Amino acid sequence: MVLVKQKTPGSESPGGPEVVGRDALLAALESDTASDRRSAARELAAFPETAPALCDRLAVEQSPSVRAAILMSLIRIGSPEAAGRLAEFLRSDDATLRNGAMEALQEMPDALEGHVDRLLADGDSDVRIFAVNILSAVRLRSAPAWLARVIRSDSHVNVCAAAVDGLAEIGGVEMLDDLADLRRRFAGDDFMEFAIDTASLRIRGR
Amino acid sequence: MALPKPAAGPDAKSVMTDVDYEKFCEFFYRKTGIQFKENKKYYVERRIASRISAVRAESFRDYFTMVRFQSSGEELQHLVNDMTVNETYFFREDYQFDALVDGILPAVVSRKRPGDRVRIWSVPCSSGEEPYSIAITLLERWAECDCWDIEILASDIDSRILSEARAGLYSERSVARVSTALRGKYFRPRPDGQFQICDDLRESIDFSMANVVDRTQTGRFRDVDVIFCRNLLIYFDDIVRRQTAEMFFDALAPGGFICLGHSESMSRISPLFLPRKLRGSIVYQKPLSAE
Amino acid sequence: MSNASSSPRHPQGDEVSGRGRILVVDDGITMRLYYRSVLEAAGFEVEEATNGVEGYEKALASAFDLMIVDINMPKMDGYAMLRAIRTDPALCAVPAVTISTEASERDAQQALRAGANFYLVKPVGSKELTEVALMVAGRSPR
Repeated sequence: MVLVKQKTPGSESPGGPEVVGRDALLAALESDTASDRRSAARELAAFPETAPALCDRLAVEQSPSVRAAILMSLIRIGSPEAAGRLAEFLRSDDATLRNGAMEALQEMPDALEGHVDRLLADGDSDVRIFAVNILSAVRLRSAPAWLARVIRSDSHVNVCAAAVDGLAEIGGVEMLDDLADLRRRFAGDDFMEFAIDTASLRIRGR
Repeated sequence: MALPKPAAGPDAKSVMTDVDYEKFCEFFYRKTGIQFKENKKYYVERRIASRISAVRAESFRDYFTMVRFQSSGEELQHLVNDMTVNETYFFREDYQFDALVDGILPAVVSRKRPGDRVRIWSVPCSSGEEPYSIAITLLERWAECDCWDIEILASDIDSRILSEARAGLYSERSVARVSTALRGKYFRPRPDGQFQICDDLRESIDFSMANVVDRTQTGRFRDVDVIFCRNLLIYFDDIVRRQTAEMFFDALAPGGFICLGHSESMSRISPLFLPRKLRGSIVYQKPLSAE
Repeated sequence: MSNASSSPRHPQGDEVSGRGRILVVDDGITMRLYYRSVLEAAGFEVEEATNGVEGYEKALASAFDLMIVDINMPKMDGYAMLRAIRTDPALCAVPAVTISTEASERDAQQALRAGANFYLVKPVGSKELTEVALMVAGRSPR
């Protein structure tokens, strides 16, 4: 028999969960070893007040796995403060960080809600697009109405296009008129006409 | 009383239009990674029709809104359960065992020295068909089997099913894909018509209980070279799926692989692993430079 | 392309029709359907993926003459997908066009550094999309 059964791996290591204080975890978050930062980030989810520190680390963290752990802890903390700090990353030049923050915000509907108005009014059209993308995926009953407001009031074609895309899945029949108005506003734009027709068809269901 | 309608009601046809079907399939795919082609419309529609009456939704539109926005994700879970068949038998999805011996293990041992340990983890192992299939595959088909210290770990959250796995008793149906030669070599027929896996194999697998979301229980799985996690993640919500993927990341050795079920994709879950095509199968690799 | 002499990687039985195969990678459903309708009208065969990891998977699973890749996507963004694909010997030569909402020169540089052969800025008209697809897919070693 070549297959061998070993002792259960790692069973010789200390079994019980080590109680490490919050400050020690915060220190470990700056460790040179990615796996230490990862486990510190994970355990800091138990301390909601560390959300700003987690975000500070996220801003400079290069390891994808540590970033993932930090984002997961921020989702679990799920506070409006954490959401607010995450929303700042929508401005980042780093596409991976930006999209990681968007995905995390999609998972924290209650914490997100208070920030939506501000994000949709941002002077940077890309930030508004990201806000619309978040609203298109989040489980928030008010999301369709927000997207409808975007297509009524935002003048930027790509922001409106993103909202139309979201409405293709979550829009209601009461938004068909807004979509028709939008189509008139962007008459002649191949993509917008196509997208609006597609969304309207999906909302009507036929 | 809201009794679910019999599955194949004649009115099932009227529940959703083709456009509704497309919209549903996209949503369901995004959430679960399970993809339905057009020819599955009848299958999907029947199940949705039955859920619509179970929750007393007024229309497909109402029901879709419920599934889409429900914060507990419970109804989506119902759908996943209804749309999938979770059965296990020997050599299920065996194309992945081909990929294991012809692609994955050669890549794994290319970074090792003869005699080093090769650790494979089957999670969830259910009643044991998968880890035993892996063991038999290695013994029968991997020429280098003797050169390595192979360790097969198998875990499940359910302690009762683990006792079944350790006992290794299987029905005719479960071993239907095992050739007569292999049955003779690795199984013992019993008077009651069942087949028992031989003692050597039973003793070679390390069965243990572990909940994948409990870090204290999974912390002991380290330096794993290959994880088989098939048809488990589809039953989790987005967050738990991500947590599980991150746990796998910690459990894997750099360059280690994950095999998912055929309808599953890491693309819905995590960017931490890179897709690789080995012997025709898509598997996921923890980057060598990950740490 | 420097690898133009390498042979096409079409799997057996993968019948090539029209002008070639394009992989469209974008998380927006209306966007994917739009690209599909425009590119199919131009004679291309189109396959879709909804994020970078899935795009990478599909690129591994079968051969394409061109990838059209959105930048902002969940799980794996377009830059990360291209960087990963460009290190894969089987995929490094497949032409790629990125499409983003960001028009600044810095973003264009980022796209080209990640391995794009061309970049477009949204909204993309059907004529522009067709022309670029024909031009960039035309470099493919087919």
